[in-house]
Amino acid sequence: GSAHGRHCHRQQEQGSGSASGSGSGSARPQPPEPSLLRFLVCPLSKRPLRYEEATNELINEELGIAYPIIDGIPNMVPEAARMTHKKAPGQGSEQP
Amino acid sequence: RALLSPPAGALRALRGLAAGPEMHFGFQSVTEEERRERIYQVFESVAKKYDVMNDSMTLGIHRVWKDILMHKMNPSPGTLLLDVAGGTGDIAFRFINYVRSVRERQLQRKLKHHQNLSWQEIFESYQKDKFNSLGDSQVVVCDINREMLKVGKQKAQHLGYSEGLSWVLGNAEELPFDDDKFDVYTIAFGIRNVTRIDLALQEAYRVLKPGGRFLCLEFSHVSNPLLSRLYDLYSFQVIPVLGEVIAGDWKSYQYLVESIRRFPPQEELKAMIEDAGFFKVDYENLNFGIVAIHSGFKL
Repeated sequence: GSAHGRHCHRQQEQGSGSASGSGSGSARPQPPEPSLLRFLVCPLSKRPLRYEEATNELINEELGIAYPIIDGIPNMVPEAARMTHKKAPGQGSEQP
Repeated sequence: RALLSPPAGALRALRGLAAGPEMHFGFQSVTEEERRERIYQVFESVAKKYDVMNDSMTLGIHRVWKDILMHKMNPSPGTLLLDVAGGTGDIAFRFINYVRSVRERQLQRKLKHHQNLSWQEIFESYQKDKFNSLGDSQVVVCDINREMLKVGKQKAQHLGYSEGLSWVLGNAEELPFDDDKFDVYTIAFGIRNVTRIDLALQEAYRVLKPGGRFLCLEFSHVSNPLLSRLYDLYSFQVIPVLGEVIAGDWKSYQYLVESIRRFPPQEELKAMIEDAGFFKVDYENLNFGIVAIHSGFKL
């Protein structure tokens, strides 16, 4: 990768700010492209979705399902979705 | 074709009681569920070497095919493109390059006609952001395979594409997009791997705006008998070997070759596209039908 060392006064041990490909447990979730939210709907019902920043998910309130956004890419397939009455991942209980 | 006698009898016996209709996976007979699963695995396996393999197998000619597709599309700035099964981004990047250059020419022509600009105006015209270098064009890349999308996204980052480009994991048969949204829908070398092509075509129709265009670039059938024989030889003898040598994966490339043979020929695909509601459906053969571009409009 290119050296970002021009004004590198601060010492950064873990990577010099380049994209976090090797995600550790505390990787910051990437939100989706704002323009994308204009087009996206639930693949099942074709109804609008709500972006939930706290869990980084796209929520279909009517059906009570949430689609995850992984590495900035919305996973808009039913297999990836979870039911919203269950706990979100990373909020305690273990998901299968 | 002694090389590939499929164990049809054995497979069918095992799967005779399995749920769902029988479908083909290359030359094997499988259930719908299995077919999806296997295809997912094929692309998961080849994702990282996908581009290299494309170059090796087609001797780089796939680039020309994709360029031709883009020229046929001839998108103007402001176009909204949905590229389905676009995994590693080849079509998306070409689209961005194309509209960017059209836009540049537009701006140059505009500047040439305004001879009496002030220095301030000339200065501002050089600030690309102000003039929106893509002209509000946008491309959404949709693919069902996470590995392919990952490779595509990395490529984009590496090549410096960011504006006007987004990535979605979705199923061509059940698109997560609203009706009447896109100007153009493309599917390049992807429709062959869709299990329910009819559904994918219906979804394509749904998400296109009225007046929108459907474009499909796919391997097709060679009618010339001599060429066909040579093509078969190359496909069945060379490609799986390349697959093994370059990607360490004979089976995936065997599947690839078989899936091409199983895919409907030009006229049949044309009929399917018409069934989905498209008008003025037509196709153009490239390299004697090794590849074909099908086009249709939602009117």
